[in-house]
Amino acid sequence: MGSWSLVSAHWSVLIGHWRLVISRWSRLTSDFCLLLMLGLLFIIFGGFAIGCAISMVVQRNPLYSAISLIGVFVSLACLYVMLAAPFIAAVQVIVYAGAIMVLVIFVIMLLNVEEEEPRPQKLRFLVPVAVLLAAILIAEAAFILSSVQMSQDDPPVSSSSVGLTSSIGTGMFTKYLLPFEITSVLLLMAIVGAMSLARRSGLVGPETRVVPGSQVLPFSLVNPERIGDLSPVETDSTAEAARLMGLDQSTPSEEK
Amino acid sequence: MNPYIHSALLLVGITVAFLTIMLLCAFAVLAERRVLAFIQGRVGPNRVGYGGILQPFADFLKTMLKEDLVPDQSTRFVFMLAPIIAIVTAIMAIAVYPFGPTITIPFTDISIPLRIAQFDVALLYVLGVTSVGVYGLALAGWSSNNKYSLMGGLRSSAQMISYELALGLSLIGVILISGTLDLYQIVEQQSGWYGMQWNILYQPLGFIIYLISAIAETNRVPFDLPEAETELVAGFHTEYSSIKFLLFFNAEYINMITVSMLATTLFLGGWNGPGVATFPLLGVFYFFAKILFFLFLYIWLRGTLPRFRFDQLMNFGWKFLMPVAILNIILTSTIMFLTMD
Repeated sequence: MGSWSLVSAHWSVLIGHWRLVISRWSRLTSDFCLLLMLGLLFIIFGGFAIGCAISMVVQRNPLYSAISLIGVFVSLACLYVMLAAPFIAAVQVIVYAGAIMVLVIFVIMLLNVEEEEPRPQKLRFLVPVAVLLAAILIAEAAFILSSVQMSQDDPPVSSSSVGLTSSIGTGMFTKYLLPFEITSVLLLMAIVGAMSLARRSGLVGPETRVVPGSQVLPFSLVNPERIGDLSPVETDSTAEAARLMGLDQSTPSEEK
Repeated sequence: MNPYIHSALLLVGITVAFLTIMLLCAFAVLAERRVLAFIQGRVGPNRVGYGGILQPFADFLKTMLKEDLVPDQSTRFVFMLAPIIAIVTAIMAIAVYPFGPTITIPFTDISIPLRIAQFDVALLYVLGVTSVGVYGLALAGWSSNNKYSLMGGLRSSAQMISYELALGLSLIGVILISGTLDLYQIVEQQSGWYGMQWNILYQPLGFIIYLISAIAETNRVPFDLPEAETELVAGFHTEYSSIKFLLFFNAEYINMITVSMLATTLFLGGWNGPGVATFPLLGVFYFFAKILFFLFLYIWLRGTLPRFRFDQLMNFGWKFLMPVAILNIILTSTIMFLTMD
């Protein structure tokens, strides 16, 4: 009996010792793995964002550019998650990748824009300006990077509540209420402006009475001397419209 | 807990959740065919296995072995990318749902919550991932270089943008009540009082709006205009065959399941039910029972309702559902403000 208890006690000590060793070892290695994973993920998402951004600028097909831009948004959202700002990440995906880019792609698909041919560059003087601006941007980034590396003390991790939902909501409706409201009014103005512009500069004026079967043209299309005149001219058939616009050469029109 | 045990458990959890969803998806297809047949007075597939139980696997093999056609004038890269986007976004949404309460593994002191990922803004994550899923359909329609596909893609993107708004607004009432975006906490807040804490009792209007816009989001009858057979052949996936078609098909059913899971989690108390406090594993059963109810509702609707016209769809979404959803938010916040003490 005594020897048994001795043996079991011995074993339990041994097992406890090993448990301690294993837990310490696993915690050490798991911390290392976590750091490695974070670094790796940062490289993957950052690289993906940069690659997609380059692809967005380089692509000739507008749809490919739009898809690349979606890639940039999504990888940026992943980077936000890694920076402990999940709300900003989610909003980035919902608003930019999920809503705005869908509209962009929708328009591209509706217009069915063909691949753009390489054409002679106008505005050549912009090239050195672009290079200069890029140099300034790179210099700024380098300056920020060096100044960040110079400060040795780590930022407090626990107090970063910047990206959390509650802190954003509280800030938006208390401290930054006026800017928030002004921004929403600005968006409303943009919508109303777009609506009124689309109504005015279209082929059909707001007061035009469109008769089914007839075609309505602005005066500037009919008479080149009256460019900018959008008052409507009604025609009853395609042939008459072509004659008015001077497309049909066999029957010269009296309007010209 | 030992981090390696934690990782291993997570890996097991991911595998189990993935396989469960895939099997549920396969049998939802079978159930749809059998129930539709029952509604229409037919028999349905009942030959492969007992009562047709092996039919999904036979269909899977048959579709896999078809020739993988790529249209000559299509945009090949996007044509390949579209089904991948559809299936990945559909599966990604599963990661944050709580399948059951926290359970303790027998003979150990390890207790794990039955969900894959803990995420503070889980609800927003689900909305974001599903909103990215539109690209799968839209790009498939565009890249096929087929007018029916293009019409299907355009319809799906317009429809999903329109109904996403009503869907998101209908959930705000629940967020206002629970005060969190974490799905696990939302479910926990609905436990107790014999189902009297379920959000559907406090948000009936929000629930109805959510249900309608969720059916529209998953492109199902009566909102299945992107793949209206009588008008558009098969809509956005007209040109797809073999495994790519299978991926689209799968994505549609997984979307149905995730939408049902969200409805269950937010409105019907998730894994809550009688006896969960003593036997936590029962919660998983209740959770899946509620999902199956919603899946049955989908099939029932498909067997019952005719399809909307597109202008009716748009008018309904923008001029009826959205104002009602906003009204729901105003009502909820007013009542909450008045009863705050």
